[in-house]
Amino acid sequence: MHGSTKNEPGEMTETRRDREAFSHGASATFGAPSTNGRCLAVSHHGEILQGVFEKPRGRLHRGLVSLKCGLFWSEATFWPDATDVLVVDPPSKVKARRAAELTLARFAVDGCGGRLKIQSNIPQCWGLGSSTADVTAAMRALSHTLGFRLSPEVAAHLAVRAEVASNSTMLGDHAVLFAHREGLVLEDFGQALPPLEVLGFNTDPTEAGIDTLDFPPARYTWWEVEAFRPLLGLLRRAVATQDAPLVGYVASASARLNQRYLPKPYFDDLEKLVERVGALGLQVAHSGTIVGLLFDPGDPDLEARIAEAEAALAAWRLGPTWRFRSPSS
Amino acid sequence: MRVASVNQSIVDAVELPPLIRLGEHLYGAVFVLMKLLPARFILDRARDEGLLRPTSTIVETTSGTFGLALAMLCALRGYRLIIVSDPAIDASLKRRLEDLGARVEILRQPAAVGGFQRARLDRVAALQAQIPDHFWPSQYDNPHNPGAYALLAEHLVERLGRIDCLVGTVGSGGSMCGTSDYLRLIFPDLHVVGIDTHGSVLFGQKDRKRLLRGLGNSLMPGNVDHTAFDEIHWVSAAEAFLATRVLHRRHALFMGGTSGAAYLVARWWARQHPGARVVVLLPDEGYRYQETIYNDGWLRAQHLWLDALPEAPELVEDPSESGAAWSCMLWNRRTYEQRIGAPFQAEEVS
Repeated sequence: MHGSTKNEPGEMTETRRDREAFSHGASATFGAPSTNGRCLAVSHHGEILQGVFEKPRGRLHRGLVSLKCGLFWSEATFWPDATDVLVVDPPSKVKARRAAELTLARFAVDGCGGRLKIQSNIPQCWGLGSSTADVTAAMRALSHTLGFRLSPEVAAHLAVRAEVASNSTMLGDHAVLFAHREGLVLEDFGQALPPLEVLGFNTDPTEAGIDTLDFPPARYTWWEVEAFRPLLGLLRRAVATQDAPLVGYVASASARLNQRYLPKPYFDDLEKLVERVGALGLQVAHSGTIVGLLFDPGDPDLEARIAEAEAALAAWRLGPTWRFRSPSS
Repeated sequence: MRVASVNQSIVDAVELPPLIRLGEHLYGAVFVLMKLLPARFILDRARDEGLLRPTSTIVETTSGTFGLALAMLCALRGYRLIIVSDPAIDASLKRRLEDLGARVEILRQPAAVGGFQRARLDRVAALQAQIPDHFWPSQYDNPHNPGAYALLAEHLVERLGRIDCLVGTVGSGGSMCGTSDYLRLIFPDLHVVGIDTHGSVLFGQKDRKRLLRGLGNSLMPGNVDHTAFDEIHWVSAAEAFLATRVLHRRHALFMGGTSGAAYLVARWWARQHPGARVVVLLPDEGYRYQETIYNDGWLRAQHLWLDALPEAPELVEDPSESGAAWSCMLWNRRTYEQRIGAPFQAEEVS
């Protein structure tokens, strides 16, 4: 785990500058690289919406809409050689290794080995998508170093094969409904989510978190499957009209439904806190332990609201907190 | 990108309503036939659960639009349909059901105890015993009736965003309880206004003959969740019929009498709450009522003629105070027993 999760404004600026140095046009082609072959992939911060969606009529898919988070990232560097052996540093990054192997197989590169180095500041098992970021950064580093273009769609497929359940952070800037166990975009909302200011924290005091793959997929009731329809409908409107308060409604409702499957402690208190401080809503990692309070970045009372929320969270020992804006640019 | 396309059937084309602005923040959901939504959803779920096979016979008791919706779906999907009804069914609806291939059984004798309601349910039970491969949609008690309205909730929020108030008539409980259930997952503060008519048992009145059909009930359906409602109104036939005509004259919406009742209440509520975004459900079209609601001579002959709409309802504390004209009572999301003071007890209809 990285040292401090509490981000002062100064630190955040630093983060952003680093990120921008690596991410020229990353949405246009998959993983446009930086110099030195270092490639970066950002984390997400759980989801705005996760559930089951009928698309088209008669076909149900598990799907999610990720909330991207530029605070945390994974960085991969690849040094190819002719040894026929792939060395991954650190060796614990087994999903990144699998992604690298799949990428080499995809490009039909025979007799190519090398060293893949992964550096990440993303805490594991909190629901921040650390393995997807590792996998994405690894695929970007390999495709760049070997001089191939990997389309976002193929990358999404490979990511799901490498890690079983993935997220859509590799897919560019548009908000999408992503079938995270199939690697398919079920719906492209046509533009990014409206800007949101997020106050995040981990609800698990042990910080041990939850392994996405140890956690069985939710077995939603027929009523819940139906209830996801209006959430998706409202999110379509929220993105099309760039209406941040509507995103807050969607995120809170999705979190409420998820309470039956992976309950967050203090949930009712957190919902009351949203009301009291005038946040737009709360979003959760549906297979993790983090929660984000959502605020309107254009709100003149933003700082006062966030200060009030931070004080309440501190009183409940729900901290440390961190803060970011999404989308970050 | 989505490209314009054709519909696979009339049900696909019209099961969701256009939303029409009826006031500054008042929107009407204008259905051709609202019951298509629950009828289709009930049949789809029954098919998925293996309760309804291609060879099955569907049996239902109805004299209203749920039967029409079932008959349309059965004609499209090839199911056999038997509809059990009583002499109150209107002749043109019966002919339409039969043209769609349904067998319509009209019972001539009410049961000694329980009247036609009882006789109809007894006949459905007898048919179920006779036909092993049957399916009974049971709109009053099947949770898939209210469950069908997620599609409507999606349709509303995608077009309107936040909704503050939902207004509509209550008969089976399906549309109002179902839609508000889904909407309140997103908007917990949604204010829900249910509309009943005098002489219906749904919200605590004594059962008696009702002139306004398509809302209210002599029985208490399992699908009426009383805790859904913040506010209940009772609207008389004469008031509903004039409001139906006003809806037609002012907005060119040719709708049935339940739509008039809903419009009367929604228009008043929206005026009382300027700025609140209100959706009113208008359940069916006016064609079945051309010789009645849309016929001045019939209205006068039935003593249902009104010169002007009442401005506002009378606020009552108890359903028994509601008199013969438009009245309203705060329900405050309580159970029947909490609000009325005693659990609901069915009276035997004779």
